[in-house]
Amino acid sequence: MRCEEAEQYLYYAMTIGEQLLISGAEVGRVEDTIRRICLAYGAERVDVFSITSSIVTTMYGEFGICTQTRRVRGMANDLGKLDDLNQLSRYICAHRPEPSEIRTRLSAIEQRPVYSFQMQIFIYAVISGSFSVFFGGDLRDMIASALIGIVLKLLESFLKRSSLNSLITVFLCCGMGGILANFAVRIGLGHRADLISIGNIMLLIPGIAFTNSLRDLFSGDTITGLIRCMESVLLAFVVGLGFTAANLLF
Amino acid sequence: MHEIIQLLVSFTGSLGFAVLFNIHGKKLWFAALGGCLSWAVYLVTGIWTASPYICGFWSTVVITLYAECMARIHKTPVTVFLVSATIPLIPGAALYRTMNWMMMQEWDKFRADGTYTILFAASMAAGMTLTTILFRMIWGWKYRQRWM
Repeated sequence: MRCEEAEQYLYYAMTIGEQLLISGAEVGRVEDTIRRICLAYGAERVDVFSITSSIVTTMYGEFGICTQTRRVRGMANDLGKLDDLNQLSRYICAHRPEPSEIRTRLSAIEQRPVYSFQMQIFIYAVISGSFSVFFGGDLRDMIASALIGIVLKLLESFLKRSSLNSLITVFLCCGMGGILANFAVRIGLGHRADLISIGNIMLLIPGIAFTNSLRDLFSGDTITGLIRCMESVLLAFVVGLGFTAANLLF
Repeated sequence: MHEIIQLLVSFTGSLGFAVLFNIHGKKLWFAALGGCLSWAVYLVTGIWTASPYICGFWSTVVITLYAECMARIHKTPVTVFLVSATIPLIPGAALYRTMNWMMMQEWDKFRADGTYTILFAASMAAGMTLTTILFRMIWGWKYRQRWM
């Protein structure tokens, strides 16, 4: 294998790693996937280092030494895509396909079906209503919370299109949620504003990120754990700020 | 009665999050079932102990085992099932309350809820990490035995 070929395979390994990281994979899985792919294509030694926002890989072999880095931006929980990428990396390690085949398979994963916008609105309502009842709300609180969940989804997608800072998007959504919850109590739709809000809060609060950051810390990815922990605390702060600001208005 | 309703909504809540995470097909239902299971274990362990941290720990131990088994059956990463299954336990409400007390400058309640949030998340993380390590050790050991 020549050096140019090795660079090309490394490029695709890095792309898969990058996509995995964006889809919400653990850092350990990203490093492991890139290492396995490079070893499958005949590297003798592979060094991968990854944190939430960057990946660095160097591979050594008879073709020479190749190094590539990626700056990774954004992060979303898309576990379906993570699953597909994982299948692809297993396939690559087992069959060692040509670069063109990897490219077509990657673009097939990009175009995989996602749930429609209507479905997502419905799901926001389901989650809001569920957690409102979960924390002790009654039927009318549930209905109010579900309706506010729908409004929040619409507002969120509108704000995302205008490419605002993500913290400001969350702040505005929380402020809106808090105002609507108090309003619902005023007009007699619900009984307790805090129980209505808790359903909406579960959608916005980074509870999963916070728990996972501690998991990263426990399993030895200290830097990643600290970064994610700070991000989630900051986001939780903004969520608290939004709802509290709305409650102070009433 | 309240517990049954909680189990029901923990199922729909986890199902909702599983859809938001873009999980499709049969895996979606197993992920949501994990959410129901996690809250069931939490309630059952609550009979023996008053400490929510111990309940959280055992609950994550059980759902990590569940997620590891499901991941092997469906040939997917463990995260797919684990993240959806932990949804009812996630201390999101406590995290929000902590921030809320901070805004209100009620420092005593801030300290109480803040401690609860961090300890509960830590006990969940401990449950997940320990179970994953143990499960993979035992699995790896059995796997080697079979092939030798």
